[in-house]
Amino acid sequence: MESGSLHTDGNEIGGVLAEVFAVEMTAAGRVCQSCGLDSQVGAHRLYHGAGFVLRCPGCGELAAVIAALPGRNVISLHGTWSIARTSE
Amino acid sequence: MGRQRLPWREVAIREIRPETPSAKTLVLDVPGWPGHAAGQHVDIRLTAEDGYQAQRSYSIASAPGEPDVELTVERIDDGEVSPYLTEEVGPGDGFELRGPIGGYFVWDPARDEPVLLVGGGSGLAPLMAMLRHRRATGTAVDARLLLSARTLEDVLYRDELEELAADGETAPPVVRITLTREDPPPGWSGFRGRIDRDMLTELGLPPTERPRAYVCGPTPFVEEAARLLVELGHEPARVHTERFGPTGG
Repeated sequence: MESGSLHTDGNEIGGVLAEVFAVEMTAAGRVCQSCGLDSQVGAHRLYHGAGFVLRCPGCGELAAVIAALPGRNVISLHGTWSIARTSE
Repeated sequence: MGRQRLPWREVAIREIRPETPSAKTLVLDVPGWPGHAAGQHVDIRLTAEDGYQAQRSYSIASAPGEPDVELTVERIDDGEVSPYLTEEVGPGDGFELRGPIGGYFVWDPARDEPVLLVGGGSGLAPLMAMLRHRRATGTAVDARLLLSARTLEDVLYRDELEELAADGETAPPVVRITLTREDPPPGWSGFRGRIDRDMLTELGLPPTERPRAYVCGPTPFVEEAARLLVELGHEPARVHTERFGPTGG
């Protein structure tokens, strides 16, 4: 199998991110600390394994690790995230 | 405050519509559906008798404001979920669903920008929600679709696409199809072969018009189409992408 063929993108984890953050996250911005690219979560590459690994679409630097454990989701974030939420 | 986290809902299939030899549209009854935006998806979860669960994401193909939630499922032969959803289930059967999900791959007609839609195979589904929404809102925003399909028979919503493109009442979208795996039928006026620069150029809406592009399909298709769009001069930030991969089945 061609390397890299296992990725999709951050849109796919919109559900689990919304569950954890209680807000829509695929349109959230993230600035990569490695290459400086500012891109939205939905545009990031998503790799599937035991959980999910989200990577910068520019340089592949780690952006987040998502572990789905029984009854809870654990997410560790890397880089600078900008999460906007409409105030009520 | 007190915002609900995204709940799983029990939904029931009301109707099943065959689309192509390998794809079906499931029309769902979703109690308490909050409404959606064009381009959003849902997660669905199937639970076997022994407790084993499988979860997948499917784009919503129906337009916002339509009473039904419609998902189009393409059968992946060695898939775990899609053979079940396309071959086994019937009206009245149910599963769990949560959504709507997504804010990045979403089209808002109020933006009043031209839209460039590029779809590969069943990647047409969320783009169809956009075209259906465009018609329902009556906006005259310039919209162009380039669809890549293996064969003409594999083109989802074919009759509806023809109707949309022929619609004389409002500015009809431009719909162009390229066939990658068969000799086109006699009289074929569409493209042939994999998506390329010339097709995207001929489709129109050059970067100077500052369109917003939505590209959806299998990962290699999306990577290539997005690369070509950026190479043609479209701003990367205006090229929205959604990929589905080998686990999509």
